Amino acid sequence: MRETLFLVKYGEIALKKRNRGAFVKALKDSIREKLPDLAVSVYETWHRVYVRFNPADREAVASCLSRTFGVVSFCEAVRVPTDIEAVEEAARELARGYLAAGRGARFKAEVRRAEKSYPLTSYQIACRLGDALLAAFPELKVDVNRPDWVLFVEIREHAYLYGPESGGPGGLPTGSSGRGILLLSGGIDSPVAGWMMAKRGLALDAVYFHSAPFTSEKAREKVESLAGILSAWLPGMVLHVVPFTPVLARIRERAKEEETTLLMRACMMRVASLIAAQRGAACLVTGESLGQVASQTIESMAFTETCAGLPVLRPLVGMNKDEIISVARRIGTFEVSNLPYEDCCVLFSPAHPLIHPSLDKMKRAYAGLKADEPIGEALEKTEEVRVGARARAP
Amino acid sequence: MIYLDWAASAPPDAHALDEAREVSALLYANPSSPHAAGREAAERLARARANLAGLLGAEPDEIVFTSGGTESNASVLLSLLAKMRLGGVRPRVVKIVTTAIEHSSVFEQARALEGFGFACSIVRPDQSGIVAPSSIAEALDESTALVSVMLVNNETGAVQRIAEIAEVVRVHSARTGRRVLLHTDAVQALGKIPFSPAGLGVDAASLSGHKLGAPRGIGALYVRKGAALQFLALGGGQEKGRRPGTENLPGICAFARAAEERLTALPRDLRAAGEKADRLIRGLLSIPGARLFPEQRSGGPSERFSPWIVSVGFPPLPGEVVVRLAEGRGFLVSTGSACSSRKKDRTRVLEAAGLAPETALCAVRVSTGPSTAPEEIDAFVEALAREVPPVRAMSRGRAG
Repeated sequence: MRETLFLVKYGEIALKKRNRGAFVKALKDSIREKLPDLAVSVYETWHRVYVRFNPADREAVASCLSRTFGVVSFCEAVRVPTDIEAVEEAARELARGYLAAGRGARFKAEVRRAEKSYPLTSYQIACRLGDALLAAFPELKVDVNRPDWVLFVEIREHAYLYGPESGGPGGLPTGSSGRGILLLSGGIDSPVAGWMMAKRGLALDAVYFHSAPFTSEKAREKVESLAGILSAWLPGMVLHVVPFTPVLARIRERAKEEETTLLMRACMMRVASLIAAQRGAACLVTGESLGQVASQTIESMAFTETCAGLPVLRPLVGMNKDEIISVARRIGTFEVSNLPYEDCCVLFSPAHPLIHPSLDKMKRAYAGLKADEPIGEALEKTEEVRVGARARAP
Repeated sequence: MIYLDWAASAPPDAHALDEAREVSALLYANPSSPHAAGREAAERLARARANLAGLLGAEPDEIVFTSGGTESNASVLLSLLAKMRLGGVRPRVVKIVTTAIEHSSVFEQARALEGFGFACSIVRPDQSGIVAPSSIAEALDESTALVSVMLVNNETGAVQRIAEIAEVVRVHSARTGRRVLLHTDAVQALGKIPFSPAGLGVDAASLSGHKLGAPRGIGALYVRKGAALQFLALGGGQEKGRRPGTENLPGICAFARAAEERLTALPRDLRAAGEKADRLIRGLLSIPGARLFPEQRSGGPSERFSPWIVSVGFPPLPGEVVVRLAEGRGFLVSTGSACSSRKKDRTRVLEAAGLAPETALCAVRVSTGPSTAPEEIDAFVEALAREVPPVRAMSRGRAG
């Protein structure tokens, strides 16, 4: 019986020793979780992960795999019984497809025989398949040096014939590195930061600080659609919308003007840490890049992270803006980030913010805010939005 | 929800809606068709044209129906290109005089004509948002072919001195022996303040239907008989060749009907509007931090401002924040002009009147209509009085 599958190659997971099983399980789980509505089966055999699917779902499954962390590459495969006639028939069908797609006439066959009890050797199988294809398609030509396409065949408990390879994002499967909280604004940087940490196996929730009436509903919708794009990689991501205005009011009331921005960042870190505790997350992720703005100098970061109480991961810290933008374009967040709904946080930006703040002074200023009360109020009114698969990346 | 954004678009007039529905359903034939149904449509078209002309103190032939204010404005400005086609104009020596407070459909169109080689002179208003006729006089020279100044500004409500500008243009034309065309964008004036194009002495005036309760997509251009206006678009010869395209008869009839409703009620409405504007202005000024744009208006009622439009701000609170606060309490208002509230240059008009850009960004436009009740104005003022001060206190710059 003939079946269609994707063979998934998972790169660095293969290098893990005793924990390999756990990583592979996480990979299988994250593929299954992303395709809840489709009849797929994900299984591992002979140290390879296969995804079996209905031919009608081919595009959906391929698009999912191309956005599944841990997948280095994948290729379509057909699985047939090992008798040589069945293998020949499957090879003819693949060749017919390649010819129809205009992939060229020069080919070679590469055969691996893992099942050593098979009556033919790899070389004999390759010869049989070559003969079968040349007989069926006289326009074909064998060229072992510069083929247009290669017929890959593996003989195991079944025979597998592989098509061309497509790339995945690589990295580690979602959740294999635990969970983090992403501070998501509507800007270019933070979605990229989230994507980069997710690539290293972090499951993410996002936190957005909404300051009505200073920020508009449009700004919130923009963040929701950014979260929606990220959720194509991170199924089940939750967006926590924090009504931040009470905290701003407190800062306005008690802080020196030049300290406003830093204290705002500090309070955001604090809120995100409290949400992390609720969600069992072990770190925060921000889009900070060293020196980009006043609150992203080393002294500023040294202070704001004291309010986090968790590791703060800043994957963009050494990246230039153009490098960040090129990732944003690749993952499909740039266009949304670039929409013009700016919030009015400029109202709260001091004319001359501190650039090299003193850690002790800032810690005292933070304590002087007595921010726990407005932060508690904000947390109580925080909304959880399931962004799910509302918007797919283009 | 209380609608206080009439200057952006008025709620539909019930009579105009009925008219549009009836004409759509029954008089669907093309007015250019020779058969009975076509002739009936043509008769109805003629009647609507005569009605609107009568309301404006104009001849029926002086009314050209268009798709709205923007098209009317564009057809006047682009008439310079049509003249070029006829060989009457060489762009290098032709100047357009207009103002810094025009709607973008005049302002941007005039700037675009610079790309064709025309010269453009942009006259600034004084601090009350009104363009002095003497400033127009200074901008006129031998090369000037067109002057375009709006009648009522859509952001501040400032009423421009068009009759005096017409006199300036007339004197200039007489002295130089070259006819200068005078156009006014009267979109915010029709049905809002009494005027007739002939009384103002203009050659052309742009009008729009949806600002007074007709549907979107219908407007008109008044063209004085004998005015040397060439039209750029060509086609089936409708509107005496001045605006080709099958006539939007339901829109035209609805427009004429809405204009009839508004203009016949105008003397009464205007008195009430003056009282309501006064009430609104006094109420707004009682809120700490309120500023009228322009501030000259704080003194009380004035014929120099349309009573239907009031521009206010609570610096440093951005106008969009005030709009959201008002909406939260059930009142719909706009920042500046609705047509440009998404653009970066949304502060052009107020900056021209001397406001700093950050102050101009604070403007909120409150625009009312004949059915706006005084109690609604009181409720709006009360809502702002409650919502604005605490939020403004949060955003106040410490330096300011």
